Amino acid sequence: MDAMYIGIEIIKMVVIFLLMVQLVPILVWIERRGSAFIQNRFGPNRVGPLGLVQLLADAVKFAFKEEFIPGGSYKFLFLLAPVVALIPGVLAFAAIPLGAPFSLEPFEMFGNTWGPYDLKLQGYDYGIGIVFVLGVSSLAAYSLLMAGWGSANKYSLFGALRASAQMISYELGLGLSLVGILLLYGTFSFNEMIAIQDGPLTFMFMGKETIIPFLPNWGIFYQPLGAILFFVSVFAESNRLPFDLPEAEAELVAGYHTEYGGLKMNMFYIGEYGHMMVASALMATFYFGGYNLPFVTPEAINEMFTGMGFAFNGASLMTTLVSHLILMTKVFLFLWIFIWVRWTLPRFRYDQLMDLGWKTILPWALANTVITAFVVVLMRGA
Amino acid sequence: MANNPIVFFPLAFVIAVAALGVLLASNPIFSALFLVLSMVCLGFMFLAMGAFFLGGVQLAVYAGAVTVLFVMVLMLFDLKDNANPIAKGLLSRFLKVSSIGVFVGLITGAVSLTKYYPVPVKAADPSSMESTRVLAVGLFRDYVFAFEILGVLLLVIAIGVVSVSRIKGGTHDRA
Repeated sequence: MDAMYIGIEIIKMVVIFLLMVQLVPILVWIERRGSAFIQNRFGPNRVGPLGLVQLLADAVKFAFKEEFIPGGSYKFLFLLAPVVALIPGVLAFAAIPLGAPFSLEPFEMFGNTWGPYDLKLQGYDYGIGIVFVLGVSSLAAYSLLMAGWGSANKYSLFGALRASAQMISYELGLGLSLVGILLLYGTFSFNEMIAIQDGPLTFMFMGKETIIPFLPNWGIFYQPLGAILFFVSVFAESNRLPFDLPEAEAELVAGYHTEYGGLKMNMFYIGEYGHMMVASALMATFYFGGYNLPFVTPEAINEMFTGMGFAFNGASLMTTLVSHLILMTKVFLFLWIFIWVRWTLPRFRYDQLMDLGWKTILPWALANTVITAFVVVLMRGA
Repeated sequence: MANNPIVFFPLAFVIAVAALGVLLASNPIFSALFLVLSMVCLGFMFLAMGAFFLGGVQLAVYAGAVTVLFVMVLMLFDLKDNANPIAKGLLSRFLKVSSIGVFVGLITGAVSLTKYYPVPVKAADPSSMESTRVLAVGLFRDYVFAFEILGVLLLVIAIGVVSVSRIKGGTHDRA
């Protein structure tokens, strides 16, 4: 813990925040082009190559919009809500490991010798990983409530109430659907989970070890039901179609952000996309091996780069980058599924949404937990 | 890591100010939002002290679920100008002020009668899974009956609230 280490950690936090914010325009572009592709249209394709510069034009437009604060609103809450919308997503995203750790040999700078350092590609590692992520992302409801109440508009308030009721309902299913996989892994830490998912599919069956050599040791093969329930619940948590009742255009104008425009509305968007990124990264970490390729450990990648003539630092850096790219590929795959589902399925009715949450996901997740607990005890042979 | 002053004092300050805000805010919504702030900072305080699991649960359960319900229910009412004086009427005023006095006396008495001695600081277990396991063993094995009785008590409260609201004259009177 010297000055250099602390400085690097602080820079890392800023980079992770910028990573999340800067991914949003790309996602918006993918969403608009993707929706156009699904609906047999063109989408934005005039400004720049493939319409990519359209985003810059949009950003400029957002920044120059007139600031508007509705009369009779609570100005403080109204202005605070978009800022609060960013916080849960960023805090949760920073807790997820985005790549293999980067090791640095001792080096000299400013007349001192620094290091050696072992830098994690992760904002902070509390070791309880998933509990922290669930706790922080459950705070997202407040930004919607503040926006809804603060803007003194009944549509906003209805949207906010719907959003918070929906989030609380689905949080139970979300938490319970993860208990099964946590029982199997026996840890809360993301890094340990990723390490467990190395190698071929290995499990104890009838008291002897069984190995299926052609399948990776991923969580999805142990907990397919848990993975499906989790993915459905995170859709509801991030207020995406088919669960976007809080901003149902046909009924509520635009829900909790009816009164917002320009950059303030943009911040709600960033919050929503941040939730999607966190959800996708969690899916990849829990069920699809995180930043590892199947059958390839980070050590193997490191050895390969050392064999190619890289020095210690270089090989470590390349390993980190490769593992980061692997994770990002998986994350973008899930983000694409988010977009795909949004433009395929219609919106639920509110009672259907509550039925799905309380009468379908919750009992199934509970059954999954109980069965997994029995199986774990039987496998141990206790 | 435990009790780093750079983290501890700002968090403690915010918790104390937010707790005062809960009492002093005239609008119940702001009161509830101050409660949220206090809860969230308490969660981060747990994290800063190395009680990772407790911190996460504090954030998820109290700040994330229970207080959301508070705020939600308060927003259903139209509570604009509810800044009433502390009490109306002589008797009511006397009772309220004297109960405040009794409460303050109780707290100062409790604090002044407490013996101060340096608490041996135990280093927090670096492995968070181990501390979680200790918590689980306490809750589900050593004190399982007390824990379950508390659960039953909460169930009784929930059923009681429903039945009270349904009796004649209640908020959900069926008559």
